[in-house]
Amino acid sequence: MARYAMILDTRRCIGCHSCTVACKVHNDLPLEMIYNPVTTIGPTGVFPNVHMMNLPLLCMHCGNPPCVDACPTGASQQSPEGIVFIEEKKCISCKACIMACPYGARVPNHEKGTVQKCDFCKERVHVGKLPYCVQTCHQKARIFGDMEDETSEVYKLVNSSHPVRLLGELGTEPYAFYICESEVKL
Amino acid sequence: MSKNIDLEQEGIQVKKSCCYFCHQNCGVLAYVKDGKVLDIEGDLDFPTNQGGLCSRGNIAMKHLDHPARVNYPLKRVGKRGAGEWQQISWEQALNEIAEKLSKIRDEFGAEAVATAGGTQRTDDWARRRFMNLFGSPNGFHNAHLCWIPTFMVETAIYGWCPFDLDLDNSRCLVLWGQNPGASGMPEIHHIMDLKAKGLKVIVIDPRYTETAAKADMWLPLRPGSDLALALAWLHVIIYEGLFDPEFVDEWCVGFGELADHVEQYSPEWAEPLTWLSADQIRESARMYAMNKPGNIQWGTSIDQIGKSAGAAMQARALIRAITGNLDAPGSDLLTGPSPDFVTDEEMEANDQLPDEQKAKQIGSDKFKMVTWPGYSRIAELTKEVWGKAPTAEWMCEAHPPSVFRAILTEKPYPVKALLVSATNPINSYGESKLTLEALKAVEFLVTCEYWLTPTAMLSDYVLPVAGALERPTITSSYGCADFLLASQRAIQPMYERRNDYNFWRDLGIRLGQGEMWPWETVEDAYYSKIAPLGYGVESYDEFVENYRYHFPEREYQKYKRIGFATPSKKVELYSSVLEELGYPPLPTYIGPSENEVDDPDLAKEYPLVLTTGGGFMPFHHSEHFQIKELRFIRHEPYMDINPATAAELSIKDGDWVWIETKRGRIKQKANLTQGIDPRVVYTQRGWWYPERDMREPELGGYLESNANVLTSVADDDCDPLSGAWANRGLLCKVYKVTDANEKEAK
Repeated sequence: MARYAMILDTRRCIGCHSCTVACKVHNDLPLEMIYNPVTTIGPTGVFPNVHMMNLPLLCMHCGNPPCVDACPTGASQQSPEGIVFIEEKKCISCKACIMACPYGARVPNHEKGTVQKCDFCKERVHVGKLPYCVQTCHQKARIFGDMEDETSEVYKLVNSSHPVRLLGELGTEPYAFYICESEVKL
Repeated sequence: MSKNIDLEQEGIQVKKSCCYFCHQNCGVLAYVKDGKVLDIEGDLDFPTNQGGLCSRGNIAMKHLDHPARVNYPLKRVGKRGAGEWQQISWEQALNEIAEKLSKIRDEFGAEAVATAGGTQRTDDWARRRFMNLFGSPNGFHNAHLCWIPTFMVETAIYGWCPFDLDLDNSRCLVLWGQNPGASGMPEIHHIMDLKAKGLKVIVIDPRYTETAAKADMWLPLRPGSDLALALAWLHVIIYEGLFDPEFVDEWCVGFGELADHVEQYSPEWAEPLTWLSADQIRESARMYAMNKPGNIQWGTSIDQIGKSAGAAMQARALIRAITGNLDAPGSDLLTGPSPDFVTDEEMEANDQLPDEQKAKQIGSDKFKMVTWPGYSRIAELTKEVWGKAPTAEWMCEAHPPSVFRAILTEKPYPVKALLVSATNPINSYGESKLTLEALKAVEFLVTCEYWLTPTAMLSDYVLPVAGALERPTITSSYGCADFLLASQRAIQPMYERRNDYNFWRDLGIRLGQGEMWPWETVEDAYYSKIAPLGYGVESYDEFVENYRYHFPEREYQKYKRIGFATPSKKVELYSSVLEELGYPPLPTYIGPSENEVDDPDLAKEYPLVLTTGGGFMPFHHSEHFQIKELRFIRHEPYMDINPATAAELSIKDGDWVWIETKRGRIKQKANLTQGIDPRVVYTQRGWWYPERDMREPELGGYLESNANVLTSVADDDCDPLSGAWANRGLLCKVYKVTDANEKEAK
């Protein structure tokens, strides 16, 4: 069984927002809903000695997802491959999952009366394609693959570049891994 | 909706289309059924973007059928700018436009008809063909601000202009006034790959850009001081012996003169002009010269610094030449024109324009490099060595601000009609107020457009044009590279949109040019271009489906076989072509268009240095402001200012501020950032507000936040070689918007 993961290589991300826009357009999201914002940190320092980094955010597809536990109707689920998703017809929009997610990765859709989130484009992934945000990233700052496959790029990178897991101390075991310049701490 | 569309369903065709929202023309796969595009995605097999699409590329579906698109020919029925239109047929529109142009030609001469173009979004050779056959030399683009002066100056020196990267073999890359992180996505991707393998990257830019953040060295020079920096680099490279003596001896003329000439331009001399330390200048020059082979990438910035632009291009070209970084592996490559396919120039029918009409080209008396005097000399030299000339549409143009002035003053003669295609001059040409006056004054204005822009609103006719997914595209770097990338249309144009090719052809036929337009469709015309390649295809679409691109085998150092396309067949460090045209043969220092050294009084009133014109995501030029899926990222215009300067001026982050030059003022919001020198401000360009009332006098807030209100097109501020006007390095002041000062007339 595969275990999907995504690596966000902040050394390569230039903050162009193409992932944000691609995701919005292809998932047909209302204007106020964003699955994957990109936050720019900086420039920090004092001119001309400055530094800047871009941090793409998304659902972490946690190994231990608090949102799934918090869902009273069973709408929030995790697939055997680790993809955290919402079965929309079961969602009553109680927003308990939104409260439970420490990453702000879930957004209410007021038009539909459901909560929605990134699901790694599971329909695409099931037919062997990449999630839109990954395919569209010119910079190849997003790398997607199977952590169970020792030949995959994600497996190799996670095991060679000491990536950071956001809020790792919470024990949510995110499967979104961040590669940063050595001097930057998240 | 795309998520719910089953792309595996029966009857779906996959079309090899492309993105048209910048020049990169990234490959796109369009999923089409029953003549409708269901979805698009980046083409994983396309050599440049490899599946990637930037934010603009991703809104193709929103652009295709946006409710604000112009879909039918419109004829003005009310007063100009009143927004009262009558929907008419293409037949009627073309007949009436042809009749009017014919009348103007009879009364005032063909030169009284001018055309304005924007960035490459159109079949420019078709426009040039129309104009040549009509008899007018007065076609122009924003090309003066974008590569064209660079191309011509460099071609004068070494017979073509590098426009191909050989980065895989390179050890150093200089991004001079270029920010591919916000403009050229396939390019920055490639750079990052190679940087990981040891490529040194130097970014020369007043702003700490997306690209500067990834560089090995960032040189935040005073905006517009590029010439001083380039001269100082020449000094360092020559006097520290970092040049390539073999290449210089064998392949260059005028090295002694150059060495004597640049002795005066030491790093210490450049220090106060560039605001860089002499050490920074030395270190950067060494990094480039000692990491051979190296590239210096062209960026638009030098094209946009006005008065000293031409000399700066000349100096930058000489840096490349004396280090031997020309057409060698890993350096800047001189591809020359393609010997294999029919180039744009060969489609333009330039020989059909009589010499007496060429002589009337507006601006050709002042700015000789990108007008007929310079172009014809360059064409002669390049034909001798390469067999072909550079594309005339772009390289040989009327001087746009001079055309706008001719409309207003009838000097040197009246210009009565302006046909606008793929541009919104009020926002994109310099000194917006002058441009606006000209657009209001011109007797006959026709605009081919996607949207009702402020310019379109002032037009007599607005014609709906086909967009990215509705038209085929050939990319060959403006007809100046030896490779091409081809895309097909995903669908026939929706509503009554048409290709600009069909506009020029149909207009031409009505004006008696019928015999010269044998290709009924643009695909037929493209097929005639690629047929000589010998792929054995029977149509353009077949070429795209089976081959899609043509990359000839790379031959390095072609000069060893054919020489350089200059009078001496060598690199002319001391340029005989420039001398012939009446310009300094060696790059000679002149200050930026406006600066604190030459004009301290002006600097007292306007103490900050302005840079504008830089691209920023997610927009392109003045486009896409109506697409909410992009606009939400940058809802309002922002200008960059250092927090120290902002504090002195009592400006807080997010305050609306006025930015004022002696030509006018605009409003943008303050973005406090350490990424800019306390003495510099950067304004975003292009802004207008399509969500507002588009009728006069509001016209979508066309002057309110438009950076071109601030820029200068005065002859004295323009580059004497090319006429490039000044967007960067101007002097300005900044102050907070208040109720009181908002009411002041300015």
